[in-house]
Amino acid sequence: MSTHAASTEASWETGDNGVAVLTHDRLDVQAIAASVADDTAGATAVFIGTTRNSFRGKAVTRLDYQAYSSLAVKTMANILRDACNKFTRSDHRTDKQQVSAVIKCTVHHRLGTVRVGEPSIVIAVSSPHRKESFLACEYILEEVKARAQIWKREFYEGEKEEDAEWKSNNGP
Amino acid sequence: MSTREITVLYFAAAATATRLDYERIPIPADGGLPLSSLSQILASRHPNKGLDQILATSQWSVNEEMVDDVSTVVLKGGEEVAVICPVSGG
Repeated sequence: MSTHAASTEASWETGDNGVAVLTHDRLDVQAIAASVADDTAGATAVFIGTTRNSFRGKAVTRLDYQAYSSLAVKTMANILRDACNKFTRSDHRTDKQQVSAVIKCTVHHRLGTVRVGEPSIVIAVSSPHRKESFLACEYILEEVKARAQIWKREFYEGEKEEDAEWKSNNGP
Repeated sequence: MSTREITVLYFAAAATATRLDYERIPIPADGGLPLSSLSQILASRHPNKGLDQILATSQWSVNEEMVDDVSTVVLKGGEEVAVICPVSGG
């Protein structure tokens, strides 16, 4: 399969301690989790999305990811910024300041061929307390799946390559 | 005077249907090309490939911004337009 000219490596920093990355390299979960480490954090939530080995009874051999990288990385960075702005409350705060409860957040997404069992997306969020890191992590995942200009094609055992299906997260 | 044109990027199902990553589309010399008429032009350039159905379920981006209201956009030439099929990241 040809690689799309626009499906290139890209990364974007939001300026609010958020980093969005698209890469052909394998995702290093330890390094990504460590990248949001902060001495003021009491919690780090990490989500790892991996390639599943079956779809409706068919054996999946691999997934190919493609992105409109220059736009997708901006969309991902906007989602990180939204996550920082959305989760501002902490039950433990005594003052009334509206500060972000997200200290650092990052989303890394694979491009190209991802074999069964390998991570295709890793999200890490650090926060002072556990609740906001869980919530922000889930928010980032759902928004990336719904909005980021990234596509996956699923290849099945015993089927021709050209019959492989481009998936949709929102459609039937 | 040089011919004005836009670049149309194809991804995912749209790239598979057209067998293209991108193509250049000329813009009429008088005025511009309403984005709302681009689907018809692209579908007629790639007949019998299911592109019309793909375009019906897709959105547009122009110069790396998603288009909310197609009816308000007129292409003048030089724009990078992309067919944004339903996404499936994650």
